Amino acid sequence: MMVRVPVEELEKYYKTVRTEKTAIVLKVQALASRAVRDWLDNHGFLELLPPIIGPVTDPGIRGAKQVSIDYYGREYKIMSSAILYKQMLATALGKIYFFSPNIRLEPLEAATTGRHLVEFVQIDIEEAYADYNKAMSTAEQLLSHTVNTVAREAAPLLDKLGRKLPRFNPPFKRITHAEAVEILRQHGENVNPLAEIPWPQEEKLSRIMGEPFFLTDYPRGARGFYDREDPNRPGILKDFDLMFPEGYGEAASGAEREYEYSKVLARLRESGENPAKYGWYLEMLREGISPTAGFGIGVERLTRYLCGLQAVWEARPYPKVPGVYSP
Amino acid sequence: MKTPSLLGLLLKLLRKPGTLASAAKFAEHFPVAEVSTRAARGRAAVFPLTELEEFGKALLGAPIYQTALPRYDTLDKILVIPPLYTPLRLKKMEELMREPVFSDVETGCSFGGFRSTMPVSVASMGSTPVWNKVSLAVAKAAAETGIPMGVGENVATVWGYSKRVKPSQPCFKERVMTYLENLKGPYGGVFIQQSVEDAYDELWNRVYSDPDITPYIEEGKVGFEIKLGQGAKPGLGGETIVDRETALRLSQKYSFDTDPGKVVKQLYERHSAPGTFTPEILRSMIRLMHNNYPRARVWVKMGPYRDLEKVAELCEAEKADLLWVDGKEGGTGLSPVTALKDLGLPLIACLGKILKLKQRLRLDFIGSGRLVDGGDIVKVLCLGCSAAGLGRAFVVAAYSGGVLGVKNYLETLKVEIQLLTSAVGKYSVSDLGPEDIAATDPALARELGIPSVYV
Repeated sequence: MMVRVPVEELEKYYKTVRTEKTAIVLKVQALASRAVRDWLDNHGFLELLPPIIGPVTDPGIRGAKQVSIDYYGREYKIMSSAILYKQMLATALGKIYFFSPNIRLEPLEAATTGRHLVEFVQIDIEEAYADYNKAMSTAEQLLSHTVNTVAREAAPLLDKLGRKLPRFNPPFKRITHAEAVEILRQHGENVNPLAEIPWPQEEKLSRIMGEPFFLTDYPRGARGFYDREDPNRPGILKDFDLMFPEGYGEAASGAEREYEYSKVLARLRESGENPAKYGWYLEMLREGISPTAGFGIGVERLTRYLCGLQAVWEARPYPKVPGVYSP
Repeated sequence: MKTPSLLGLLLKLLRKPGTLASAAKFAEHFPVAEVSTRAARGRAAVFPLTELEEFGKALLGAPIYQTALPRYDTLDKILVIPPLYTPLRLKKMEELMREPVFSDVETGCSFGGFRSTMPVSVASMGSTPVWNKVSLAVAKAAAETGIPMGVGENVATVWGYSKRVKPSQPCFKERVMTYLENLKGPYGGVFIQQSVEDAYDELWNRVYSDPDITPYIEEGKVGFEIKLGQGAKPGLGGETIVDRETALRLSQKYSFDTDPGKVVKQLYERHSAPGTFTPEILRSMIRLMHNNYPRARVWVKMGPYRDLEKVAELCEAEKADLLWVDGKEGGTGLSPVTALKDLGLPLIACLGKILKLKQRLRLDFIGSGRLVDGGDIVKVLCLGCSAAGLGRAFVVAAYSGGVLGVKNYLETLKVEIQLLTSAVGKYSVSDLGPEDIAATDPALARELGIPSVYV
């Protein structure tokens, strides 16, 4: 579904922010963030401050561009995701998380998906000595706790938005990427079995499933170099997306990490980049780090789901929609 | 559009000691005068009567271009051989209700996901100053003619993405937009390379998210070209020479023979890496392209490597839109002498492999490497390619006559393609095949799987 680009609402955001709806949404968001922190703190995760700039960041995904800044004469990037820092932090500290602001200059087409912002906050979670099954278990419990808490405590607010939240009961269904491609084929949608599922089809899948579910085992090439390839199933990655029900799309995205130096080096070449650019990261891998797994939850997307909003720009103050100049 | 004249280029070369020799060498290795004449005179150059000659009074024969025997087999060992009996001409006659002539040959075609008015593409030429300077003239002419054009690596990194870093040198986006904005109708498309150094600046992501380019991406007029090497230096990375100012600016992104920050000299050798590939890496790379840029064409360009067949098989399996094979005769801004002399397969050997691959693969190929005239192009098409790639010829044509020079030159190619195609009794370039050519050397004919002139 294409959503309208909200030029007027963004340019005159001082009006938008004073509406009752925006106030409710931001209150629900604060409540959700608190629920997330409660659950993570009670389960032994340590909250850290997120790094925001560095020599490299997550190589852009699906054509999004990174932002560079001049750092005393050298080029630095603003985090498109703090993924590269998470592995070492989890190695050193065990179970960690941060609320990480990210910037991605998405292609213009992303302005009408209702799901993309240039500036957004990701709850980044990483755990040492965990595999992706463990990470999925963490993700479904965390998400269920958050949704159920908000449903209970924010009921009067949600009522005003006309939003009824279902109760989430983990464990969630898990289907592989290959199964998803087949399900979509049966519903008349032919998608490339070797790439990420395009947004409209992903939304359709979410409606077909009718409940929150995991989409697992993406084909190599569809995701970043840090998603671990299954040693027993070459070409298949040990990763997942957690999908909201009701057509709201992706709630979280995660994986077991590739942590062996030589494998990461070969995977880095896939993006056509010179590994020298990732010098500090590779050096760390060569010294040896722990296997880790983790995921990220987009705060605005979570809020959008909780409040039943049409577009994710409604779910944060002063949103930046691709291509729109606004304060 | 202003372009430096050929005379200007020659004068510049003459002013610098040592360059006279290199200019002479270029003219010896590449038919500058021939291309230049075509650029100046257009289709009149196809029928080479001078002003003093009139038809019926001039005595013309086979030109003898070769001053020395080539060290390896070239397309000169192949001739286009027409038959007398031409059933397709009869069919064309039925369609036209008159005798067909050469101008009835349809040169329009599709390759690599783009439509083109003729089976020719402008090769991806990079940041070399002599080329970059005239690149806008070529872009305009290629767009107006309706043929695809490549933008080589390092242009954005060296000359700037959307702002010129040197007043005399067009930046990356000028090259791309000059092309795209001059396209007419359904023809043409631009394909863009990214070196490992351009990847540092995420060139492809930048292009894909650039609002000025987006409409053309939606029209299907934009592709990305994965470069796996080039003809003049297969297995080696980009080599060029830059001045100190440029070297200082780029010192973070490239490796230089000496550190420009520490050693002061006039010129620095700039090296870039050839890139490391395995089948797994290339496979994932193509998948990543489809995944990240679903609306862009994916082209792959390789040098004359001995594992051409394996690369082609992988490209087909991963649904790349096109594989461009640059023979060892391919042009370059700079290449070590030893590479030019001894490295890589000659174009004709690549074409022999392509012809065999075409029997089992559904994949578009482009062949390139010192192609100059319509005859060269027709031979490349007969040997299994969907189009021919040309680079240096456009540089010479642009220096000779700017936009018009390039368009004139392209017209000579079109007329010659039509002449030769009609001569073998065919009226669409897509009908050309190995039956239309023969090798002058029986052993070569056998190896290529084409007829020999003697059989």
